[in-house]
Amino acid sequence: MRAVDIIGVGLTSFGKHPEESLVDMGAKVAIEAVKDAGIKPSQVNIGFFSNMLAGSIQTDFTIGENVMWNAGVSSVPIFNVENACTSGSSAVNLAWMAVGSGAYDIALVVGAEKLFVPNLGLMQAGKSQLDTLEGLVVPTAFAMRANLHMHKYGTTKEQLAMVAVKNRKHAALNPRAQFSKPITIEDVLAGPVIADPLTRLSCCPNADGAAALVLCAADLSKQFNARPVRLAASVLQTGSYVNPCDLSGWESDRRCSGIAYEMAGVGPQDLDAVECHDAFTISEICHYEGLGLCPEGEGGRLIESGATALGGKVPVNPSGGLLSKGHPIGATAVAQVVEGYRHLRGENGAYQVEGCKVFMAECMGADKDGDVKTVTCNILTI
Amino acid sequence: MGSEVKPVMEGIFKVGPPAKLIGAQCPVCNEKFFPMPPVCPHCLGDVNEVELSTKGKIYTYAVLSMGAMYKLPVPCPVGWVDLEGDGLRIFSLLDSKKVSEIDFGKEVTLRVEEVGVGNDNEPCLRYYFTPEDGGAK
Repeated sequence: MRAVDIIGVGLTSFGKHPEESLVDMGAKVAIEAVKDAGIKPSQVNIGFFSNMLAGSIQTDFTIGENVMWNAGVSSVPIFNVENACTSGSSAVNLAWMAVGSGAYDIALVVGAEKLFVPNLGLMQAGKSQLDTLEGLVVPTAFAMRANLHMHKYGTTKEQLAMVAVKNRKHAALNPRAQFSKPITIEDVLAGPVIADPLTRLSCCPNADGAAALVLCAADLSKQFNARPVRLAASVLQTGSYVNPCDLSGWESDRRCSGIAYEMAGVGPQDLDAVECHDAFTISEICHYEGLGLCPEGEGGRLIESGATALGGKVPVNPSGGLLSKGHPIGATAVAQVVEGYRHLRGENGAYQVEGCKVFMAECMGADKDGDVKTVTCNILTI
Repeated sequence: MGSEVKPVMEGIFKVGPPAKLIGAQCPVCNEKFFPMPPVCPHCLGDVNEVELSTKGKIYTYAVLSMGAMYKLPVPCPVGWVDLEGDGLRIFSLLDSKKVSEIDFGKEVTLRVEEVGVGNDNEPCLRYYFTPEDGGAK
């Protein structure tokens, strides 16, 4: 594999975008990224478009070709990618493989999702799955993990709530976040219960949003961009589905991050900033452990120490995370990488992590047999 | 009329009485599975149908307070149950009438009854575990 750089990015705010269609939003960030990269659309050799739910919500399919044509990209291979919450990072991973393999020089990745529709309901893992038919919805899947983490490791409801409070504090510095009003631990705990111990503020809200990246072979990137960012590792793993499952953490998270660290030649102690899949407060606590930021079972104590807040040892979700921005599923994990690109270039304004040299984007998608379907780790360096 | 109510998924339980979950066992690896896979995922050999234990202990659980799918009663408790003697941990609906008794390690017993609706929006039979008659015997 040859080295791959990121040379251009595009990103919308996350929130309500009632005036724009899915294609409008995708095209907007695609155009932004292509212009930002300083390339012509005809220089894009391959495209990947990620989205999860348009097929069921908007009854729309193979949207990538529509999006990319609006950004002037056609007559090249274009793939539409769905992998639940990791749809976006799966598209990034495919683009990284396409460019890294030497088959293509420049890849465009676009992720977009529109979730503000009536009666969307709670997310589930697929209606053909027995666990879904037996009543499993995503919030209970995570509440079971939260209950077990508290039972096994002594993690407290207050520590879980601190994740939401911290990420909201970060979001106040990010003009693209959907919710920026500060909240307290008491606000989180007093909110309506979705699945105890998870209250409304412990769960990420829905959002519309889009994000895009241009990936380029590293030996060509400086023709277009004076300060490219290296995509030093891009890894996707699936669950092991062994029985009995272990719901107190994710072996798949540890496995995925371990491969990524080795590929990038760094370790968890080298990370300057992290964006992770904080779909629920407990998720971020478990990802601290999965990424090796702390030992197994210590996630609750890590948030309480302040180490993962802006100004701390390793800020996690400085953008405000999904808990404050919302979760436009197909865009989410592309946007995480956009955040990393801007941190490494010092372009994130009020929530910039100063001196950021190594950045981790972690995401996780869907549930199967008490394990995850997909987990992704992308490490960016400069 | 009751006998016409379909199971939430074909081939996963016997209605009884006594109700039994239908699993599978690989004669080579000896491992048990639920639900029954087409072949053993380890050796790809044929698996044999086996009835699983009707008793178990709760490994972890959660109670959904709103937004349950399939017209399931709310609060909607679910959990992972370690089946006695089978070495299997399975996901299950739990008894919505006994929420206050649900806890880690709680002994529970299998039931198959009409609960909620299926993907076709028609009433259906589901398995669930209840702390009632927990595996004390």
